[in-house]
Amino acid sequence: MDDPIAALLQRCAVQDRAAFRELYAATSAKLMGVLLRMLRERHEAEEALQEVYTRIWLRADRFDPGKGRGMTWVIAVARNLAIDRLRMRPMETDTDVVEMVADTTPRAENRLIALGEARAIAECFGLLEPERASALRGAYLDGASYADLASRHAVPLNTMRTWLRRGLMALRACMEGRRA
Amino acid sequence: MTDDDLERAGEFVLGTLPHAERLAFQARLDREPDLQTMVADWQERLSALNEAYAPVPAPDLLPQIEARLFPTARATSRRPLWHWLAGVATAAALFVGAVVLFPVLRGPEAQPIAVLGAPDAPLRFAARHDGDNLILERIAGPAPAPGQAHELWVIAPGAAPVSLGAVETTLTVAYPAPPAGWTLAVTLEPAAGVPHPAPTGPVVAAAEITS
Repeated sequence: MDDPIAALLQRCAVQDRAAFRELYAATSAKLMGVLLRMLRERHEAEEALQEVYTRIWLRADRFDPGKGRGMTWVIAVARNLAIDRLRMRPMETDTDVVEMVADTTPRAENRLIALGEARAIAECFGLLEPERASALRGAYLDGASYADLASRHAVPLNTMRTWLRRGLMALRACMEGRRA
Repeated sequence: MTDDDLERAGEFVLGTLPHAERLAFQARLDREPDLQTMVADWQERLSALNEAYAPVPAPDLLPQIEARLFPTARATSRRPLWHWLAGVATAAALFVGAVVLFPVLRGPEAQPIAVLGAPDAPLRFAARHDGDNLILERIAGPAPAPGQAHELWVIAPGAAPVSLGAVETTLTVAYPAPPAGWTLAVTLEPAAGVPHPAPTGPVVAAAEITS
């Protein structure tokens, strides 16, 4: 399997600093995009980016190419850090999140459909109720919490949690079914 | 594996686990390979959504990141050029070709740059720079208890602290002289794992560089 990011991560795991620089060049724009979208503040995103690459270097030996792709792994490191930071913010103001989701969701969907590899998840998303699919995307892409999503969709928090848990399991079943 | 763990792993990847549950899940994740596999599977399953993150050119933050991860290596690989240029500029401005000045420019005496801790504080450290090395010396107060360490951090304005190592009585580390506005701080940390990626213990002494 051709996965240049995975190869760089494996070199980082054995302390290859040149590989670390290549990894930064190859992935920093994508990770900056992730952090800016989730944290919505440039200064904090840049600070978080430094923390993300620090973690990537320190944890590169935990990356297992047998379990997933390199780009997926580095994006997960960035998303996890952003989610931790979002949850530690004292109070989330929800309005700008809503605007951002409204603004980017159609574009995101078009991009998904245009990509062959992403077709499965796009089609499986299509089987979900639109409101639940939108809540799932808001959670994943913007780091929205159950409380954010519950107030955005005007449902009780527990209902939102049930929606998303069922939505996740439905997605899984749909994608496993397509693979079989 | 249980369905509950499978759902929880999905919620973890989605990012919606409430904070307390998220922390508990992360602790389990470190020691449970089955859970790690579930998380990796969810990450791959949802990875198509990553296409929706539009790339944004990032500034070159590698110097800061490398300073954080490899303070000594950065000092030796990057300092000589500007050190050399500064030396040339100074020599040219003052005494062109004055070879005898070399020992003076090198400065065998390290220059004081800051004292960490107020004059009456129980624990104080003096910071000096000799042109190549940052030197921190404990000038008042006891050594930390066994198992603990006094860890030195350098903090650029608006940036996260970077560990420069543990101070026994004196710490000498190859590192450029921090400019004005940077902060030096000493925290009390577990002795194991120095240098740590980030401070966790209390600050026992600190000073901002003022000149």
